[in-house]
Amino acid sequence: MPRYAMVIDLQRCVGCGTCSISCRNENNVSEGFYWSHKITETSGTFPDVRFHYIPTLCNHCTNAPCVRGCPTLAMHKLENGITMHNPKKCIGCRYCMINCPYGVIYFNWKKPHEFWREKQVLLKDGTSSPAAEVRDVGGKGVPYFNPDRDETLLGIRPKGVVEKCTFCDHRIIKGELPRCVEACPADARIFGDLDDPKSQINHLLGKFRPFRLKEAVGTEPAVFYIRDFSAAGYLRTKGGI
Amino acid sequence: MKSPLWLGLLCIGIVLGLYATFKVYTVGFVLYAKTDVLVWTLPLSTYIFFSLTSAGLAFVSSIPVVFGIKRYEAIEKRTLYLEIAVLIGSFVCLLLHLGSPLAVIYIFLSPNPTSPLWWLAVLYHVYFVLLLSAFWGIHKGKVSKPLGVLVFLIAIGTSTTLGWLLGMTDARPTLNASFFSIYFPLTGFTSGLAALLLASMVPAHFSGREVTVDRSGLYNELARIMGIMAGMVLIIFLWRTISGGISSTAVEYRAFKHMIGSIPYNIELWLGLAIPTVLMLVPSIRATVWGKITASALVLVGMFFGRLEFVLSGVVRPLGQMAEGRPEIVSYVPTIYEIFVALFGLSAMLMLYTLGEKNLRLDAVPE
Repeated sequence: MPRYAMVIDLQRCVGCGTCSISCRNENNVSEGFYWSHKITETSGTFPDVRFHYIPTLCNHCTNAPCVRGCPTLAMHKLENGITMHNPKKCIGCRYCMINCPYGVIYFNWKKPHEFWREKQVLLKDGTSSPAAEVRDVGGKGVPYFNPDRDETLLGIRPKGVVEKCTFCDHRIIKGELPRCVEACPADARIFGDLDDPKSQINHLLGKFRPFRLKEAVGTEPAVFYIRDFSAAGYLRTKGGI
Repeated sequence: MKSPLWLGLLCIGIVLGLYATFKVYTVGFVLYAKTDVLVWTLPLSTYIFFSLTSAGLAFVSSIPVVFGIKRYEAIEKRTLYLEIAVLIGSFVCLLLHLGSPLAVIYIFLSPNPTSPLWWLAVLYHVYFVLLLSAFWGIHKGKVSKPLGVLVFLIAIGTSTTLGWLLGMTDARPTLNASFFSIYFPLTGFTSGLAALLLASMVPAHFSGREVTVDRSGLYNELARIMGIMAGMVLIIFLWRTISGGISSTAVEYRAFKHMIGSIPYNIELWLGLAIPTVLMLVPSIRATVWGKITASALVLVGMFFGRLEFVLSGVVRPLGQMAEGRPEIVSYVPTIYEIFVALFGLSAMLMLYTLGEKNLRLDAVPE
């Protein structure tokens, strides 16, 4: 059985957000939720300022604290290392959100995709309502509803349960890469089997010095970061006093 | 206070709670002061307040049964009944905290013994059944020692497991890890004593019922123990502040450092611990009915805000990607619906207790 992991090459990543948008489409993610997101940091003081951008998603930790704490095993590990969630078993206690050090789990505080249930039109006889648009295109909740998501998880998760990235498990079982990996125009996301010594991710992990987020917590994330991007240079110097 | 007025006020509290319940389950939890950061707020802290008070009452009710101090049998029945009422109040708040309460059936169908929350759920189910059985026995005039011992042990289990539940969250060390497995039973015992003193003395005072010398002496003893406990908790509380809030340099503790200046923290420190300790250390104040009632009420108010302070300490600082576009510390003000939930739990508990007081001869001493 493979053990899936992802390598994110920060030198290749240009921060375009395609991963986040493609993820929303693939997984019917509701407004305000980010299965695929980012952490931005700035350092220095003007004019010597630098902007850091770290793409984030569920780390599918080997020692997943969200799984350990879930009272009903709604949050559970698959044999292939993916941290999966079953909304039917979720009691909505949000203990997984408390346990997750990465802030990647979201709770459905209300019915998802509220905007698309609006029946009011913006301009009478001029525009259709969001609800009519969904109906006209035969969508389910949203006009761009992806029925493939329904294969392993509820296509749209209901009010009162949590949700998060699943490494696109529904695509993986069909031999396809996660949507964010496939959509990345810079090939900054590399996906593969950590247990296969010949996989491309193991090649990269051996070639560069990888790091993972909050390693000290001991969660053993399956998302690795390599390299860094900086086009800046500086004159060779020893500093001064 | 006249009985119809009291019952009317409790009914208003319950109606407001039912209204909040209807709104929460139709509109959604968006009615709470939620953000994706503040995932645990007032409904959960109120649940913790009630559940620990119930565990504290279990410690009191175990005094005659487990430790054989016979003179405490006089308050055994009342304590047990109050324990049940308080526990039901906690369940009300818990149900309005859970997003999908019907899925709780999976606690049994899909158990996860690595989860402290699973253990807590199982313990509470057993605890509730045992409490009902123990009370039924006493109501029939018989005290069961095995049941009493089990209630005592499970109360230790629930209060310390609640500490484990929060101590397990390596991501949020401000929840003070295993520290709370000691802090919770101690504070629970303190609030349990306070609840019992209030529930015993206030109805007697307002109904003009005469309190026997034995019973009055018992209340003085309980008040003294409450003062000692409040003092002990105060010392632990201050050490928690010094170790986590002042001396720690870890960034994770910034949330707790923020809470030290907050209103709930200061209410817990001054109203809930410092003043009651002083009041109950002065024999002349401790001997008066109003001294005991004031100290007990202050302890309960302080503990209520203390639970809120502790829950907020764990969540006000966004973690990971949740920090994106947010300030380092997120502020919290409860919404009216959250206040209604807390009021619902309190009113349901007090209603049950009032009805029991009227109909169940709570002062009866078992054989």
